[in-house]
Amino acid sequence: MTTVAQGHPHVWATIQTELIFARDGAVTGVRHSWTFDDMYSAFATTGINAKTKGRFTRQELQPLAQLNVESIKDFAFFTFAKVDGKRQRDAFNAPVDYWLDYDAKSKQLTLHFTLPFKNPVAVKQLLIEVYDPEFFVDFGPAEKNPVRLVGAPPQCTVTAEKPPDQNFNSQSLSQMFTNAEANIGMGVTFSNKILLRCP
Amino acid sequence: MIVRDNRRYLRRALLTATILAIMLLGTHSASAQFGAGMRGPAIGGVAGWLLAKQAAFYTALAALLRSAKVNGSALWGLMGISFLYGIFHAAGPGHGKAVISSYLFANDETWRRGVTLSFASAVLQSLTAISIVSVAAVLLGATAKLMGDTVRVIEIVSYGLIVLLGARLLWVKGRGFFGALNDLRTDAARSSTDLKTPGHAHCDHSHDDTSCGHDHGHASSFVCDKVHDADGVSRHDGHHHDDHHHHEELDVLPWGHAHGPEPEELAGPGGWQRGLSAVVAVGLRPCSGAIIVLVFALAQGLFWAGIASTFVMGLGTAITVGTIATVAVGAKTLAKRVAHKPTGYGSVLVRAVEFGAAGVVLAFGILLLTGYMASERMGLL
Repeated sequence: MTTVAQGHPHVWATIQTELIFARDGAVTGVRHSWTFDDMYSAFATTGINAKTKGRFTRQELQPLAQLNVESIKDFAFFTFAKVDGKRQRDAFNAPVDYWLDYDAKSKQLTLHFTLPFKNPVAVKQLLIEVYDPEFFVDFGPAEKNPVRLVGAPPQCTVTAEKPPDQNFNSQSLSQMFTNAEANIGMGVTFSNKILLRCP
Repeated sequence: MIVRDNRRYLRRALLTATILAIMLLGTHSASAQFGAGMRGPAIGGVAGWLLAKQAAFYTALAALLRSAKVNGSALWGLMGISFLYGIFHAAGPGHGKAVISSYLFANDETWRRGVTLSFASAVLQSLTAISIVSVAAVLLGATAKLMGDTVRVIEIVSYGLIVLLGARLLWVKGRGFFGALNDLRTDAARSSTDLKTPGHAHCDHSHDDTSCGHDHGHASSFVCDKVHDADGVSRHDGHHHDDHHHHEELDVLPWGHAHGPEPEELAGPGGWQRGLSAVVAVGLRPCSGAIIVLVFALAQGLFWAGIASTFVMGLGTAITVGTIATVAVGAKTLAKRVAHKPTGYGSVLVRAVEFGAAGVVLAFGILLLTGYMASERMGLL
């Protein structure tokens, strides 16, 4: 079901993405790590029992991780692929190797999962975009290592292009007010673009 | 002469109807475009600006809750930002502006009642959010998924109520409209044979006789009263309480009345019940942001601050929705004034607009219920 973006973001996620290569140089999958803001993290962990209060283990969070990967299926995992400029529909199989971890200090959840390509991509140019078309989740690249190549042939290069402006927690209030103006629209405007070139 | 008058009033009525239609659309065009799968350009203009402000205030809410834990003075800022967030957020979906305005438009309501309905629905909305988090998270230790599922059930009930409300309005207003249309035809036939009474004074009576010849249990007919107030003459124009077809209608009408609830009825005990149905229909669904903020406040050990913030948000929301409701009521009053001229056309147009507004309420309910129009997303990712 597709609906129109109407609201403002309720969840903020900083993303780190790895492109996984097979030996023959084809991209086999996309490995994501999304760290959510503390407010959403508090909401998502409500009612989850932890042996040590305020510290959730991977096992304790596994049902939530399962729920997450199942529900984001309806949103195409917020991950959109273009191969040599052509939009790929339904490009990924169900997520594998998924789990959540919880940073007790920052009180933030991080969701890890890998999206395997249905057909490994051996092309000159691959564009991966990460965004929520409904803009319920505001995705932004991590400051450190927003994107990495794993097992890539030497000629491959990758560039990460972040959305025009960010509206992240780390910003001061005044910055936020000025930036937010330019920051609003359909989620696609805020797509995080990962461009892989293998000439 | 009659023809020219009719034309002039018809033109004015049409103009008013157009303005009203634009206004009515304007209340939701900012947030809701019909049709699935639209992928337009970035939202600009007023809608974009409103969204930007909401996002900024919402982020500020989180930041203030974070610092309130260590610095109590942040709570004042929290209340201020909650209020502003409420004002701007009400412009977003799920706060019933469109449904409430359409409802007010379809009915003859006073602005006071419009504002009361807006405040009541905002208070109810705050209460549902607080109840869900209190019961689910505080008492039962339930998960976010359960809270999300609860909201979804409430949402379906709420949308179902909007459908029922719209269907009922459409039925009542449809009867009013087609009745008026029928009267107009009959009157037109009459006035062509009786040129001495241009305003088709088929209901000639004195001031104190407001029952205007029809006897289905209504001592005072609203339309008659209005005419007397406005013109100070006991002449009838564009009015549909005719004795020539009311008797047979009586037997088939579930409400025993050809027209929808008139203000006098709405202000009475039964009327408040009807208003209540609108309040419940639009106010039942809590706003996603309020729930997330409440849970976050709970996690910070500041649940009471979250509750206060939710009520202040509701106050802000009520102000926006109440303002829009007042505009709707004002436009309707204007429309009625234009329509109450010696011609039946204006009145038929008012009935048509009411009928249309009722249709809008129903359409909203159906689109929401079927998921073609989304409220805010709720729950996990």
